[in-house]
Amino acid sequence: MRSNVLTHTMILALVAALSLVGCKKKPPVGTAGTTGPGSVTPSSVGGVDVPGGVTIGGPGMRPDLTSADLEKRQFTPVYFDYDSAKIKPAEMAKLEVVAESLKGNSKNLIIEGHCDERGTAEYNRALGERRAQAALVELKRLGIDASRMSTISYGKERPADSTHGDTAWSRNRRCEFVALDR
Amino acid sequence: MRILIVMILLAVNVADAQVTVRKGFQKRFVAVNGFGGTALGAKLTEVVANDVRLSGCLGLAKADAAEFVQHGNVKADGGVECFVTHVVTKKMFLSKAYPGQADARRLAHAISDDIVQAITGQRGIAQTRIAFILKQGRNKELAVMDYDGANVRQYSNDRLCARPRWSPDGTRIVYTSYWQMFPDILEVNLQTGARQILARFPGLNTGAEYSPDGLRLAVTLSKDGNPELYTMGVDGTGLRRLTNTRGAESSPTWSPDGRQIAFVSDDRGSPQIYLINRDGGEPERLTVSPSYNTEPAWSRPPSGSEMRPMIAVTSRVGGKFQIGVLETVGAGQGVRPVLADGADNEDPSWAPNGRMLVFAKRRNWSSRLYLLDVVTGEQLELPAVGEGASEPAWGP
Repeated sequence: MRSNVLTHTMILALVAALSLVGCKKKPPVGTAGTTGPGSVTPSSVGGVDVPGGVTIGGPGMRPDLTSADLEKRQFTPVYFDYDSAKIKPAEMAKLEVVAESLKGNSKNLIIEGHCDERGTAEYNRALGERRAQAALVELKRLGIDASRMSTISYGKERPADSTHGDTAWSRNRRCEFVALDR
Repeated sequence: MRILIVMILLAVNVADAQVTVRKGFQKRFVAVNGFGGTALGAKLTEVVANDVRLSGCLGLAKADAAEFVQHGNVKADGGVECFVTHVVTKKMFLSKAYPGQADARRLAHAISDDIVQAITGQRGIAQTRIAFILKQGRNKELAVMDYDGANVRQYSNDRLCARPRWSPDGTRIVYTSYWQMFPDILEVNLQTGARQILARFPGLNTGAEYSPDGLRLAVTLSKDGNPELYTMGVDGTGLRRLTNTRGAESSPTWSPDGRQIAFVSDDRGSPQIYLINRDGGEPERLTVSPSYNTEPAWSRPPSGSEMRPMIAVTSRVGGKFQIGVLETVGAGQGVRPVLADGADNEDPSWAPNGRMLVFAKRRNWSSRLYLLDVVTGEQLELPAVGEGASEPAWGP
């Protein structure tokens, strides 16, 4: 586990970087007064306070991540049936490839769970987590230590195929895998 | 009380027809003459007329079709007067002077709530705010606006945010943020903009809603396995696990007395609404049909209101999301649809009056916010905000 100070610094750097990207073309921050419907005033978005004692460890302690890390998906996604978090027998070979690649090194694995757009947002977030955990359980059975794996559910927020219909939906019900060199 | 419920059902069933219901539920029509020809007067007239239109309990009418008539003026010193008179009896329902103030919209909303109070005896919604998720390209950020869509203010730069909920005193909002890639529960102080992490366990941290006393949060966490329901203190301490199932629990909402929590579980197949004691125990299943019920939102009408607490839900019927209500909270009851118009309608959240809902309507894969009067079934479109708006939460 990294020190709190380091974590805090990285968080501030990340938030600062995001703020810069997000605010480029907007009017000055914190302008008071009223605006009519339609326009958006960015409030001054500061860093996030990380109070001591709230940072929680435990099994599957999560690594520090950037969005660039998540661009580096190295494996074939595992696909799911509609409204199901069950790993289909035909998808098992993909998990064996993931497990094989993690043997003999100390890489950490991020498992993302995703859903198609047909569910409501929070229910899909829970369903995506169950999919990620189903993959995690299989990988554990294949010999990967649970402490090396973390799950992220995006629900329906990050479709692989942003069109609509059966083909897109079947591509979006999936788990994605990112192996981190740390 | 029973008669009242029947009347709600009637109103809901015949949403397209002119509904005749008991006084107090019936829409009352007001001719808004406004506040004179000055710039301030014109602004006040515009905002008050729109408030009357959005109020649910009142409607706009021409003088010859109105039950009430409003007059007003802006005085030389900048002060404002407003009068509301009953057309037939000539009885004065409102006669009030307001000191001038720089914020015309705010003054107009205060006047509108006085008009609603004078005519209906109920607290209006014109001075409330709505939190929601603002779409900006691929990003989704937390924003807050006046209930009528004005004064939109962005409170996050996290790239992906979800499910805002208000503290009962209206000073803070708790929401789900992927600011560090993983879903965490953050709280933002609206006065200072300061944010803090309330939950960042391994896995899923989401679904937070404050208890009515503001002391605890109900949340969904997956730190012990599949997503389960927990409560925790608003300071992040005192975590208590409520459920232990093989399915996923999500979207908790507190009963008005804070003793129970309704939530979604798919433990027995498709997602349905369940109820559990705030300290845990055996969950009770509330809904069985339609086959997909999610996003419960428990209303908290003020004491003395003719509305009673209800749970709004998002059901899926024929591949479309529609909004329904559970009028009484008990096992195995049906969901009564209140909005099924062929569009996808989701994310219901109650106004403090327990009568109006704000929700997101999706058409052609683009989302906008609307208000719904559950008594009359009337929908009112809010101004478009950015590229899209979703997951609204009506503030206290």
